[in-house]
Amino acid sequence: MRTSRSLAVKKFCRTISSTGIQASDIRPLPVLRETMDYLWHLLNSSEYPFEIVHDFIFDRTRSVRQDLSIQNLVNDQAIGIYEDVIKFHILSHQRLARSCQDSDASSLCYLNTEQMMKCLLSLFDMYHTIHKINSQSNKEAEYYSFFVLLHMGCKIPKMANSLSFWYSQLPASIVRSKEMIFARTILRCYHLGNFKRFFCMIADEATELQLCLVEPFLNEVRARALMYLNHSGYKLQHHPLTHLSDILMIEELELEDLCRICGLEISRSGDTKAFAPKQTTFSLPTPLSKSSGIYISREIKR
Amino acid sequence: MEAMHMVALEIRLLAEKADRELVMSGKNPDKLQAAGSFLMKVFGALAVKGPKRVGALYVTCQLFKIYFRLGTVNLCRSVIRSIETARNFDFEDFPVKDKVTYMYYTGRLEVFNENFLVADQKLTYALMHCNPQSESNLRKILKFLIPVKLSIGVLPRRTLLEKYNLLEYADIVTSLRRGDLRLLKQALDRHEDQLLKCGVYLVLEKLELQVYRRLVKKIHIIQREKEPSKAHQIKLEVLVKTLQWLGITMDVDEVECIMACLIYKNLIKGYFAHKSKVLVLSKQDPFPKLNGKPV
Repeated sequence: MRTSRSLAVKKFCRTISSTGIQASDIRPLPVLRETMDYLWHLLNSSEYPFEIVHDFIFDRTRSVRQDLSIQNLVNDQAIGIYEDVIKFHILSHQRLARSCQDSDASSLCYLNTEQMMKCLLSLFDMYHTIHKINSQSNKEAEYYSFFVLLHMGCKIPKMANSLSFWYSQLPASIVRSKEMIFARTILRCYHLGNFKRFFCMIADEATELQLCLVEPFLNEVRARALMYLNHSGYKLQHHPLTHLSDILMIEELELEDLCRICGLEISRSGDTKAFAPKQTTFSLPTPLSKSSGIYISREIKR
Repeated sequence: MEAMHMVALEIRLLAEKADRELVMSGKNPDKLQAAGSFLMKVFGALAVKGPKRVGALYVTCQLFKIYFRLGTVNLCRSVIRSIETARNFDFEDFPVKDKVTYMYYTGRLEVFNENFLVADQKLTYALMHCNPQSESNLRKILKFLIPVKLSIGVLPRRTLLEKYNLLEYADIVTSLRRGDLRLLKQALDRHEDQLLKCGVYLVLEKLELQVYRRLVKKIHIIQREKEPSKAHQIKLEVLVKTLQWLGITMDVDEVECIMACLIYKNLIKGYFAHKSKVLVLSKQDPFPKLNGKPV
């Protein structure tokens, strides 16, 4: 036997006609919760390559969400399940980006982000609904902040409305929460080109999930920083890579790679490597190679 | 036409009232949404060849009001498409009042989407053609036009802000004139809720770059008076100290990042020398005017 009733998890079915369904086909809430727990356990313990595990859990969580929405379940437990699904998508987002080397994997990333977005928007509707009965999830602010942070990627699925509009519809208590202020501030630093503060804030204040979410965008941000520095710097005063690697919180060797991908030549004088500004060969690469997070060298005190 | 106008207006107002009552008795307020669907059908009936079509813009405006109230502004898109691309409509044929309202709402949508040049055109049109006696309408238009104008470098006079009671923008304008970063942050903080609700907060937040630019320009002017030959070189340390005096802690690396950005976006002409930690301004026109282009 290749599977068993205790192991098999219900698949996602794209077209469901209401005439074909029986009540016994839809899983009730406690079963859905158990399913989520099982899938979560799989995520952390499977021996299979991550892409395969991701694929399986992606499909099965979609099916769980489908069962929830057919039953129109909106309560604390349903919200808890959605929050867990999003957690899965965020962790996948980070892991897929780390292993993304070819176009197949990058379309996996895109589909994952798209699904994450759909899930987030459904979750926000649910938060809105339970507000009316004076209840709320204690993770709300963080989950709202994920939506803001996704705006840092340039390849994210197109969002129907603007961020300005979205803020205008949110209660003030959410927009002014610690997690939202973090997200809003680093987005602002990004637009302002204040890369120093951008990376410092992420290192100091990001929650674990926020860090996972922004990690795949970090190299894009670093490339932009190189673009500004290359454009505006003085040709004869080279920018040492050690200094840059501190500010951009990236390992020096990785920074060297990044420079090369951007078309920047590294110059050497003795032990120090640097790049000279005003190189015309610079170009912002798209798509960008994987990022591997925040790196703080031993000399910097945290 | 007048009868149709009356019906369209009353449907919206009654639906709003009905929704308020539904909410008070704990039920789901769906009347305004239903009114919206109904008016869409009315719009469809008017969007035909013939004299009826001049009424279509009035219905469009009622729909806009409903969608903005419900927060379903994405539904505006299909109506806008019909008005702006259909061959049945000649925009000039519509009554002025309707055109002003239409431009006001579509202008606001452009502000949400940060298309500042188009937003400027639409809101300015609304301002120019609005009934000069209707101060409350003028105020509504200005509430959104002013942030747009600020982002393309056009500052309103204080008398304008006072006349239309838009003093929430007063400190922001002052901070732009003075290069006072602290004042900008305080103003944004104080009016945060209100500005977020209108959807102009992000527009105003982005003015930070222009305020930095003004600050650098002021330092340049002071240096020019003291020592003209060296005025075009500004030590980054000086910027750090100036910001500190304004109560803002920033180290030299941060300042360098921001200067790099200002130069890249052509707000400042020049370059920075990393090792010497100096910002070197171009001797000719180091602070190019924005010229009506958003940053």
